[in-house]
Amino acid sequence: MPMQPTPSSSAQPTALEKVIAFVDERVGLKTLQAKMLNEPVPGGSRWAYIFGSILLFIFIMQAVTGILLMFYYVPTADHAYASTQYIIHDVDYGWFLLSYHFWGSTAMVVCVFAHMSQVFLWGAYKKPRELIWLVGLALFGLVMGFGFTGYLLPWDQRAYWATTVGVEIMDKTPVVGDFMARFLKGGPTPGQMTLSRFFVIHVMILPAALMGLAGLHLFLFRKAGPAGPFHGSVEELKAKSDYFFPRQVWKDIVGMVTVFLAICALAFWEPVVLLEEATPDPGDYHPEPEWYFLFLFQMLRLKIFAGEFGQFLGAVALPGAFMAFLAALPFIDRDPERNIFKRPIALIGWIVVMTTILIFTVSAIINREFLD
Amino acid sequence: MPTGYDGMTDREVPSSVKLALKFLWFTFWTGFPLKLAFALLFLAMGMINFEARIALGFVMVLASPVTILALPILMMGLDSHIGEGVGIGLLFLLCIPIDIWAYGVVARTYFIERLRLEPPEGIGLSLWMKTAVVGALYLPILWLVVGFTTETAISVAHSLFELDLLKGVPVAERIGIQLVLWGSVATVVLLIMLLIGLWLVGLVIQASTKGAQPMSGSYQGRVTRWDLMRVPADQSLMLTTFAGTGIVLSLLFWSALPVTTPRPHDCCKKPEVKAQPPYKPIDALNKDEKLIAQLTTQLDELEKKKAEEETQGKSKRKGKAGKDPAKAPSANAPVQSESKKP
Repeated sequence: MPMQPTPSSSAQPTALEKVIAFVDERVGLKTLQAKMLNEPVPGGSRWAYIFGSILLFIFIMQAVTGILLMFYYVPTADHAYASTQYIIHDVDYGWFLLSYHFWGSTAMVVCVFAHMSQVFLWGAYKKPRELIWLVGLALFGLVMGFGFTGYLLPWDQRAYWATTVGVEIMDKTPVVGDFMARFLKGGPTPGQMTLSRFFVIHVMILPAALMGLAGLHLFLFRKAGPAGPFHGSVEELKAKSDYFFPRQVWKDIVGMVTVFLAICALAFWEPVVLLEEATPDPGDYHPEPEWYFLFLFQMLRLKIFAGEFGQFLGAVALPGAFMAFLAALPFIDRDPERNIFKRPIALIGWIVVMTTILIFTVSAIINREFLD
Repeated sequence: MPTGYDGMTDREVPSSVKLALKFLWFTFWTGFPLKLAFALLFLAMGMINFEARIALGFVMVLASPVTILALPILMMGLDSHIGEGVGIGLLFLLCIPIDIWAYGVVARTYFIERLRLEPPEGIGLSLWMKTAVVGALYLPILWLVVGFTTETAISVAHSLFELDLLKGVPVAERIGIQLVLWGSVATVVLLIMLLIGLWLVGLVIQASTKGAQPMSGSYQGRVTRWDLMRVPADQSLMLTTFAGTGIVLSLLFWSALPVTTPRPHDCCKKPEVKAQPPYKPIDALNKDEKLIAQLTTQLDELEKKKAEEETQGKSKRKGKAGKDPAKAPSANAPVQSESKKP
């Protein structure tokens, strides 16, 4: 859509208008602005569409807080713990930055789950949006990777043993598992090499991959266009259809502010507190991963997943098969029907998966109390 | 085409449960960001100190229209102490106008867009008052019923696994099965109680639709009208007000934000977990080496002492042997013994 030149109150353009015109002539700012903001939203703006923008906002905030933390954090086995304690206790507002970064990662996982659930329930993965879904799945993997690699960095008992358990699980993957585990650990037990590798992956490789894939995700989304609501008459959809700006932008901003406030409140409520410094002796500490991996951890405690084969089945085969199924979903589910209430298998499947994750997560929390 | 409500509109009023769910859901999200901003500000200023871990559902999700009167009743009834600070009371007071405003916006837009009815005057205040009263009466009952059911279900589930037949079930499986058993019962009871609560709130909302006049005009016209209710005509003024409020709140927040980790209030200190002293491999090795060196010295001294005693014993025996030839050892023995000495 061609943009009209910005009206000026006076005949002579102001200094700001001159600067904007200068940049626009060389960069095509107004065309870009028009492309970004004038995206038609079928059926109008909705609160259900805010998760993608919120995820982008959380990622930017994680990058900002992460960079600020890097000014003080020392990624060596000798100093990682002490520098994290220094950030918490001595650096001005360091406790807040670290706690925000910690709770931000949790918020990111929650929003990824919400975004994927929304896309699944809305049937927005179907033709012609298969590639958006696939790239989204890869982004989900990256978010999990961020959580896993970032967890080791404070170098306390929780970090050390969660990583030990995680790498052991990875080791069970056929063909590449042994290589991956050896590469990540860099030695027989987690130590300096492990910390260095996790740090590089966390601050260099994953952010670069995420930026690339998020860009591709957005490009594909703009190419295919928003899916729109799955119900409503043609008259309703036509009457409510709107552009991305201003209503959807406003909703996105309100969503971002709400998430920002929620993360800040959590940082206040439960600021990050470290356990003892990492040692190869767990002592009384019962190793466990971050909360979003707890369901898998609890599942592996079941008798049917005991033994070498059982552990492989629970830790690698089942989650791998589930992810493969999700990747194949748009190609298996060819029915154009998007209304979730007319797709009973999809609805029941989603409820079963969510309930299972909830039951195993709560069981892991009860199990923790039992062990204590 | 569906038959109209009171035969005057072209769309039916949804069931009371659905109506209440929609109203409460939208109202909650409309007011929540504003209330959260104030809650955060009070937290930063140290005006709120929570004792309970989840602070009674974060003050019943920031005192929604349904919980605002029920929460003090529950706190008094259960004699529970969620924390201290004037911020909790102040937050409650601030929630009232925010919820009345949020209820008004939601009700007006819903009446026009979905029900196609003219919203009555003062609908926000009237609905807020009625739902607050319903919540005050009903939520304590819900709390008691669900609490009692959950406790009973937990004890029954635990006692089931005391049976000889089930004693051999491994811990992880036992925890999972117990959770499913008591969790299902508690969830079903909670859902039933919530549905009854929603039905009651829905009746209140339905009653307010009875006196409303049907709207006329095209659908597009109605959409424009309810849209303008959410977005004021003077958008610049609204944006300036919002931005100004945001800047003031942000400045207040940063000026109140503690520089170092906030210490918990005396009332709300968390139980201290005494961690085991960390295992230091090098220290342990040094300590062990010192112990080994000490023990080696002791052993050497003992051996030396023993050897001296043996030498003294031999000389004594030699003396005795001179006197008693029958008890004298063989001629080779002392030589062998001496030769084996290091």
